Amino acid sequence: MQNEYAIQTVNLTKIFKTKTQATSRRFTPRKTVAVNAVDSLNLAIEHGELFGLLGPNGAGKTTLVKMLCTLLPPDSGTAKINGYDIVTQQMDVKRSLGTLFSVGERGFFWRLNGYRNLEFFAAIYNVPRQKRRDRIMEVLRLVGLEKNAFDLYQKYSGGMKRKLSLARTLLPDPPVLLLDEPTVGLDVISSRNIRDFVQQTVRETGKTVLYTTHYIEEAAQICTQIGIMRQGRLIACGTPNEVRGLIKTSELIYIVVDQISAEQAEKLRSLPSVTKVSDNNDYVVGNQKGFCLELKAVDQVPAIFDFLYKENIKLVNFHRVEPTLEDAFIELTGRA
Amino acid sequence: MGFWAEAEKIYYFMKRDIISFSTYKTNIAILIATALFGALSFAFLGNSAVSQAVTQMYNMDFTTYLIIGLAFNSYLTQSLTLVQKTINPWALEEVLVSPTSLRTFIVGSSLWGFIWSTAVVAVYLLIGVLFFGVDLSINVAGTLLVLALGVGTFLGFSMIGAGILILTKQGDPVTALITIATTLFGNVLFPPQVMPPLLQAISYILPQYYFFTSIRLMLTGWTILEILPNLLVLALMFAIIVPLGYGVYAWCLKTARKNGTLSWF
Repeated sequence: MQNEYAIQTVNLTKIFKTKTQATSRRFTPRKTVAVNAVDSLNLAIEHGELFGLLGPNGAGKTTLVKMLCTLLPPDSGTAKINGYDIVTQQMDVKRSLGTLFSVGERGFFWRLNGYRNLEFFAAIYNVPRQKRRDRIMEVLRLVGLEKNAFDLYQKYSGGMKRKLSLARTLLPDPPVLLLDEPTVGLDVISSRNIRDFVQQTVRETGKTVLYTTHYIEEAAQICTQIGIMRQGRLIACGTPNEVRGLIKTSELIYIVVDQISAEQAEKLRSLPSVTKVSDNNDYVVGNQKGFCLELKAVDQVPAIFDFLYKENIKLVNFHRVEPTLEDAFIELTGRA
Repeated sequence: MGFWAEAEKIYYFMKRDIISFSTYKTNIAILIATALFGALSFAFLGNSAVSQAVTQMYNMDFTTYLIIGLAFNSYLTQSLTLVQKTINPWALEEVLVSPTSLRTFIVGSSLWGFIWSTAVVAVYLLIGVLFFGVDLSINVAGTLLVLALGVGTFLGFSMIGAGILILTKQGDPVTALITIATTLFGNVLFPPQVMPPLLQAISYILPQYYFFTSIRLMLTGWTILEILPNLLVLALMFAIIVPLGYGVYAWCLKTARKNGTLSWF
């Protein structure tokens, strides 16, 4: 029977102990400080989901990935991959997983060509010998490296190295993929190729992907669910729209009017629904200048229109701005 | 996972290393030249006191004694660093997340090094036979047994050194200590019996002494029964050091994983 969740963590915690740095030349004993890299993390990712994990540097994303792939033992809590416990059923977890590390290109053997590198990993990932060659060529074709299969790895570009990492991750055809910053340091085209490939893989094969990234719009673009981590904790989780909605406390409405007097602008400021009005007619839409209003909620817009009508102010342009996922990210991760 | 599946993984570790190694052509030439010159230059060494002691104790000339010592010293020295060479932190992480056991990883990563070391030993011995009249009468079974025990014991030391290196990140005292002890007290360049009794005592607690004594005798026509006491001591040390080394390596690896310092180098 298939487990309900492909990835599930319950109160998963990892604490690192570090020593404080010496602050003066005089001898002062260094203290040991405990840092909760991952702090009571509860996460449930369903099968076939492309889950984007966002967070600033040091949020605990890579630590989480390393725990899920059994490289780091947790200090408390539990986690399951495809129903297997990451502590007590490590071999089953490893057979269920493909992991791409953010510095994955260093795990290859530079004096071997791409094919020979994958041949080695196919062997240690138990890809059956009879199917090995076909499978290697298949994943190389999938990531677009078929023509470079027999080039030395040391001659690969950054994008090609990352693609080979992705090919290695797919080699044993695991049901769950952990992709730790797969596009970091890549150019726009290589990043887009990898994003498209991941999205297509999830769509066509039903694999579950945990995709960590710094690039917010990247996550918004391809992920079905998003989680935001901060100081080891999951502080927001949901669809990109739901996460955006978490900070939807006010609406930005841009209104361009034909002419408005200083007195009328002051009246506009005093309306109960208006939280902010720009000082000048400096907001530009095309070749028009106008005001920028911030409202408490979008349903207050009719009251504004009513005011403009009564004051005989001609409305030239109007549009509403949704908060972006980046706004949500900054607000959520920046909160004290 | 069955034996053949594990053996196949080990084969692929070795294949990877052979391909990598074969690309360093200059390095291969240097290694062979070092072996050649080492054998040629050291073979001229020797003083009469040591020569006499060697003849009395081993019934062989000093050149034969020295060439066998040098050949297998390079073997053991290479064995000592084999496991350390496998702990490139990034490659280590990639292998550790695969469904491959630690045992297969260690054996697979070390195998090519042993095969290459065997080739270097063959070069030393060949030069000895061709140019210095080294007379070998090899007891094949005995030689293989002594080699297995000696190399296994040194692999145990190598695992201890590699384990410490995983934690300390730079330098391990075990490898340095074993290398110095081998040269001074290991019966490599001269028999410990020519040293003062106190220093001789150090030799007798080292597996190197029993290994070099046994391998020389196995290569010059002695039987296993004739060197049984030596072999038993070596076997006892093997039985202690190999599990100890594996345990230390596994513990250090576990500790580094727990502390999250595996990829710190």
